[in-house]
Amino acid sequence: MILRILLHAISLALMLAGVPASGQPVRADHAEAELIARAQALVPGKPATLGLRIKHDREWHTYWINPGDSGMPTTLQWKLPPGTKAGPIQWPTPKRIPLPPMMNHGYDGEVVLPVEITLPADWPVGQTAKLAARADWLICKDVCIPGGADLTLSMPVVAADPAPDPKWASLFEAAFAAMPAGKVPRAEATTAAGIIALKLHGVKPLPGREVYALAGVEGLVESAAPQTVKVEDDVTVIALNVTSNLSFTESRFSGIVVGVADKAMAFEAPLTGKLVAGKGIEEGGAKPQKPVAAPGAEDLSLALALVFAFLGGTILNLMPCVFPILSLKVLGFARGGGISAMRINGMAFAAGVVLSFLVLAGILLGLRAAGEAIGWGFQLQSPAVVTLLALLFFVIGLNLSGVFEFQSLLPHSLASATLDHPAADSFLSGVLAAVVASPCTAPFMGAALGFAITQGTLASLLVFGALGVGMAAPYVLLAWFPAWLKRLPRPGPWLATFKQFLAFPMYATVVWLAWVLLLQLGPNAIIWFGAALVLIGLGTWMIARPGGGAWRAFAALVAVAGVVIAWPGGESAATPAATSQAEGWAPWSKDEIAKLNGAGTPVFVDFTAAWCVTCQVNKKVVLETRAVRDAFAAKSVKLMRADWTRRDPAITAALAEFGRNGVPVYVLHAPGKPPLILPEILSERIIADALKGL
Amino acid sequence: MIVRAFAPALVATFAVLAASAGLPAFAAAPPGSTAPDFSLPATDGRSVKLSEFRGKWVVLEWVNPGCPYVQKHYVSRNMQTLQRESGGRGAVWLAVNSTNPSHADYLKPAAMGQWMTAQGAAAHATLMDEAGQAGRAYTARTTPQMVIINPDGKVVYHGAIDDRRSSNPDDVKTARNHVRAALGEAMAGKPVSVASTTPYGCSVKY
Repeated sequence: MILRILLHAISLALMLAGVPASGQPVRADHAEAELIARAQALVPGKPATLGLRIKHDREWHTYWINPGDSGMPTTLQWKLPPGTKAGPIQWPTPKRIPLPPMMNHGYDGEVVLPVEITLPADWPVGQTAKLAARADWLICKDVCIPGGADLTLSMPVVAADPAPDPKWASLFEAAFAAMPAGKVPRAEATTAAGIIALKLHGVKPLPGREVYALAGVEGLVESAAPQTVKVEDDVTVIALNVTSNLSFTESRFSGIVVGVADKAMAFEAPLTGKLVAGKGIEEGGAKPQKPVAAPGAEDLSLALALVFAFLGGTILNLMPCVFPILSLKVLGFARGGGISAMRINGMAFAAGVVLSFLVLAGILLGLRAAGEAIGWGFQLQSPAVVTLLALLFFVIGLNLSGVFEFQSLLPHSLASATLDHPAADSFLSGVLAAVVASPCTAPFMGAALGFAITQGTLASLLVFGALGVGMAAPYVLLAWFPAWLKRLPRPGPWLATFKQFLAFPMYATVVWLAWVLLLQLGPNAIIWFGAALVLIGLGTWMIARPGGGAWRAFAALVAVAGVVIAWPGGESAATPAATSQAEGWAPWSKDEIAKLNGAGTPVFVDFTAAWCVTCQVNKKVVLETRAVRDAFAAKSVKLMRADWTRRDPAITAALAEFGRNGVPVYVLHAPGKPPLILPEILSERIIADALKGL
Repeated sequence: MIVRAFAPALVATFAVLAASAGLPAFAAAPPGSTAPDFSLPATDGRSVKLSEFRGKWVVLEWVNPGCPYVQKHYVSRNMQTLQRESGGRGAVWLAVNSTNPSHADYLKPAAMGQWMTAQGAAAHATLMDEAGQAGRAYTARTTPQMVIINPDGKVVYHGAIDDRRSSNPDDVKTARNHVRAALGEAMAGKPVSVASTTPYGCSVKY
């Protein structure tokens, strides 16, 4: 005992003398690597735990011993003093990294791959041990880069009981916590027709956990294929597909199994039967966690999407943003000239609408192709666009209220040009109609259009085209069958009253957009926005007063000043998000979902945005009702809200995983089950049914 | 007239529906199986159909110039040498690029063709499999990934190019080239000793 204390004192003295363990982190492509030791010193003849620490840049990963469909396991080649022994890498349980249609196994974030090192027993105490290793790995995100580093670590050597290095304690702890623990007592595997039945005796799936096996070598199991699990008495049988690139020739099959104990367990099974190559990756099989749609939310086929887009376009005409302008347009038909002129106007109008939608879709696709993580509704995620639209609606409202006439805004030449070319006028009306409709498409048709965007360029353009065709269809029909117009009331003094009334839906739209701005920019911005409305109101009123050119120029200046002061200064990112978080709803976090699911807690996620009217309706009518909140509470469901009011690449990426590119999306993450996507229009019944499955 | 206005939309709808109905499913092509047929545009615009080469030996090479493992075999001239050798023995070499146009590694046909030319490649054709149709039909996982098809249209080798699973060009010197070995054995009428291996490299960017 006295000797030990003495030895301890000596080792402490040596360390204080200035020979602490020292290594150097090495920066490589998208990662930092370093050799580290769990203790502050080595002891001759005693195994010590060292580790390769890899700190990956965000979203980059390196690979497990069986990397899956592609990739390369990380390797270490030691250069050690004579007589020193190094064990193999002790692999922590990897993450499954889906790379549809394929599957990889590896690590992200900061990870330590522990290795046991033993100095020869006759190593002199006090003589520093210089350890070196060449580490090689493949690091991938969507592209892969081979990486490597020459690493060194100098360790003091003491006689006994080195103290743990507090710097690395938590990393090593995490690595060992993630290590498979224990071995399945008895395992055997039989194979036939490209399927392996892995029988694990004495273990059972934990409730609520997904059970799966990972082969410890490449070339045997199809990593991406779904695995089916059956429990027969005390035997858990996992059916695995043999890979189509079969290169396994051993008679024993080893690996790890997840979900039968707190930690993964190792297994080693004799493999019997005729091993033949499997069918390869089955479509969709790459995502064992492939989201499933709840009844009523089946994936839209393109044909259905086109029909919906057409109907949606037709219905757009009734939306508060569009209805006032278009109802006046229809009544304008009644004043139209001959039938052929009307038909030309109708087609010109349709062309304006359809082209505008295609241009909008083109912009979105272009931005996405350029790498912007955006989706449908992007136009409302920009405060500048929301401001401009709100001001445009306000001006149209003022016009309908009779404050001024549009003709008085335009230079005379342009005004007469539109009169000379009624087709051009109709075309521009079509463009205006599409522009004013754009804020309404996102709130009501975000999900459908978002789906379209994920389906490739042609499909997107077709769907947006169909939307435009649907929107223009009533006018084209009226232009062709002017007889129908006779059923409409004849223009008369009532029309002026009706027109004035129509200003109010416009003002309502302004209020709604102001609320979106409030959430995007904070309360201060609303003061400027309100002041802008006053100035624009004043300016347009002044323009309508009799006066000369100077007066009109001054009036225009006042109105323009309104736009200038309302213009959002820069992007909103600087202001803290005034999110629509409510009590009981945590902010969305992918990691948190994984953690909660791992702990057996189901999570419900509401992908929403302030400008999404469907989202707000669902929230008020379903999600925030007493009954639904109680139902969630009864099943201990954790609630999360992902707010897409402003641009958020992480949320855009999450939506993409569900095949969506717009909100609302409602997802129930039950532990051990694929995420369940609920329909866009919620009801208490739908929620209750979804929760039944928990 | 109304019908005429809507006809293009309808025609387009049906065209897309027909196309989606024919979406390729994943399949595999292990040794001994019939090689799935495909028809793809080459980088020079002509269309190439696999079954045209029935009666000849065919080598398929999955390629992506952005992948370090592909670069390994081109920088070391391993791939070009193998292409010339195989061509000299009468085999038709088809390089297939299954990279999705949305991926950063994607090259337009002209650029892809230029890359192959710049490498001094001797492929019969470089095929653009933008929809991943051929890749899926063969369960191509990685670049490179190699398939040898015999004159009867059967797969005789499927897997890695060699047994040194690294990205280091120097390793080709010490590697066993599975393709050279398999093509040699198969053309000599011998059974292929190593007919199925696990391919290695970057994932195919579907």
